[in-house]
Amino acid sequence: MALVLKFLNGTYIFRKCPKPNVASCPFLGTHFVDYCSSSLQKPVAAPGKTSSQRNSEGDLQGHHQREVALDITSPEEKPLVSFDKAIKDEIKDQFRRLKDDIVNHWIGPEGRPLHEVLLEQAKVVWQFRGKEDLDKWMVTSDKTIGGRSEVFLKMSRNNQSALLYGTLSSEAPKDGESGRSGYCAMISRIPRGPFERKRAYDWSQFNTLYLRVRGDGRPWMVNIREDTDIMQRKNQMYSYFMFTRGGPYWQEVKIPFSKFFYSNQGRIRDAQYQLLLDKISSIGFTLADKVDGPFFLEIDFIGVFTDPAHTEEFAYENSPELNPRLFK
Amino acid sequence: MKPPILIAILATVMTGTMIVMLSSHWLLIWIGFEMNMLAIIPILMKKFNPRAMEASTKYFLTQATASMLLMMGVTINLLYSGQWMISKISNPAASIMMTIALTMKLGLSPFHFWVPEVTQGISLSSGMILLTWQKIAPMSILYQISPSINTDLMTLMALTSVLTGGWGGLNQTQLRKIMAYSSIAHMGWMTAIIIYSPTMMFLNLNYINFYFYIKMSLYILMTLSTFMLFMLSASTTTLSLSHTWNKIPLIASTILTLMLSLGGLPPLSGFIPKWMIIQELTKNDMIVVPTLMAITALLNLYFYMRLTYSTALTMFPSANNMKMKWQFEHTKKMTLLPPLIITSTMLLPIMPMMSILD
Repeated sequence: MALVLKFLNGTYIFRKCPKPNVASCPFLGTHFVDYCSSSLQKPVAAPGKTSSQRNSEGDLQGHHQREVALDITSPEEKPLVSFDKAIKDEIKDQFRRLKDDIVNHWIGPEGRPLHEVLLEQAKVVWQFRGKEDLDKWMVTSDKTIGGRSEVFLKMSRNNQSALLYGTLSSEAPKDGESGRSGYCAMISRIPRGPFERKRAYDWSQFNTLYLRVRGDGRPWMVNIREDTDIMQRKNQMYSYFMFTRGGPYWQEVKIPFSKFFYSNQGRIRDAQYQLLLDKISSIGFTLADKVDGPFFLEIDFIGVFTDPAHTEEFAYENSPELNPRLFK
Repeated sequence: MKPPILIAILATVMTGTMIVMLSSHWLLIWIGFEMNMLAIIPILMKKFNPRAMEASTKYFLTQATASMLLMMGVTINLLYSGQWMISKISNPAASIMMTIALTMKLGLSPFHFWVPEVTQGISLSSGMILLTWQKIAPMSILYQISPSINTDLMTLMALTSVLTGGWGGLNQTQLRKIMAYSSIAHMGWMTAIIIYSPTMMFLNLNYINFYFYIKMSLYILMTLSTFMLFMLSASTTTLSLSHTWNKIPLIASTILTLMLSLGGLPPLSGFIPKWMIIQELTKNDMIVVPTLMAITALLNLYFYMRLTYSTALTMFPSANNMKMKWQFEHTKKMTLLPPLIITSTMLLPIMPMMSILD
């Protein structure tokens, strides 16, 4: 499945030779050459030489002769998709990633020496400086359930930040079962290793999330998901709120990981558990504040750091009524 | 967990293991394994967070699969030999199936994938029980069927376990995962020698294979001590362990000797089993296997050394302005920790005495 997706990304285009005139060469039948040999259409060669070469080879192969200008592609040329080459390149890419993975495994955690990882106190995890940084995120809205919200993600001015913008509409979809609607979200893609294996971030030496954002005053929700090995974990999420201030100044939002509360299948649970930082899979921003209208959020970068003044381990209490198992 | 319940569950775990070790009837052995597995699940779930539940689920699934495979092997053996007693297994299919089932329970390669995940998800004390006590029952059965084990299969599993344990633990920063990979590697060493234990044909129960028992007991001692030290300093990552010099300097220095002992460096106790296993394997005309095992044990030693370097040999920067934090009396009950540490590090001089057991 992953290979098919990659294949769609990496189509290979070959220039097709002009279609042969079947009437002029009845013997060849359907024997067309799908890709041009380099001698036939070399744009840098002198036109006279090329045409004579083409003439001679064209006679041999029975191709229809056409004078092709140096830089303009023929209108008959269509891009062809080469399945074999795409698959081969994809396999080579995966093996290269496997080799990198093995080498990084030897060097240390995350491919860096251990002392560097242990002494690190601040780390930029996601930043938006180019189109490839946007590919690490995906946006979703209630369009998937039939709503009318729209959300887009693009690079902002001077490629210094990403802009998440769109329109929120809390009009419920008319499918007979949804009562409420109106959400937009931007979720990071799960990091993948060789052969599309799921990887996770290890943020166990950090204790605070840092976001440099510029919003429009709307309250957003920051959601963190842990590594999904077992199916039931896909429904579990740790969230906290991010209140944006609007205005022309950038806002620095610091959320300690101890403040994240636990929810399962979209409902905040009575029994609360601490967010464990050794297997973080993805982070997401959700807007669902029931206010219709346009919105935007500009994100400069997202990082994690250790706040030495923050010693709280978990912000929420459990009581015997809420979580009786803990108090048995 | 309330103390009476904890005592009852721990007693069930111990009873299960005892039943496995003392039985000669295959059905009773299987019952012992099931008792053991079912009783340890609540111990693994002591903390009740989603991670611990996931770890317990994974443990249950793998152990249940292994028990099923064991039962299948037992049934095939019953079909071919007509009896339930644990003795030489004539049918190779049954023997291979039983071997695979028991190595799955132990966490040997290539069935080792559950060990780091489960150990990481549970608390330190549960991890301690998982990596020490839970190895006793499958090992005792492997020892009892050792004449019938396919030599090539076992040697291959042992070699790949040592490799996996060494390679997998290389870039871990989580201490529980490091101990899990260390357990995989040590199990590899143990199973490498189990095939060469003397046969029980004469039912001479005094004639034990002391190499295997020494390795087993020393491994349990060393792992117990390490876990207890981690529990004392309440550290689950390399970074938090490296701050122990500021809190309890004695632990930092003890971890140094303990880690080097786990890595098998002379003159510490951990060297004894390695030496004896290599000696016994070379006596049995195996040259390549002990060489490879000794070389890949260096990978193990590498990550133990990294732990000791950051913990004991360097004073890691911490967020503390004082030279030393206030040292209070320990509230955690660490029973028998000093004797455990001494036996884990200083047993080498009495090694020649162990030939008395021969």
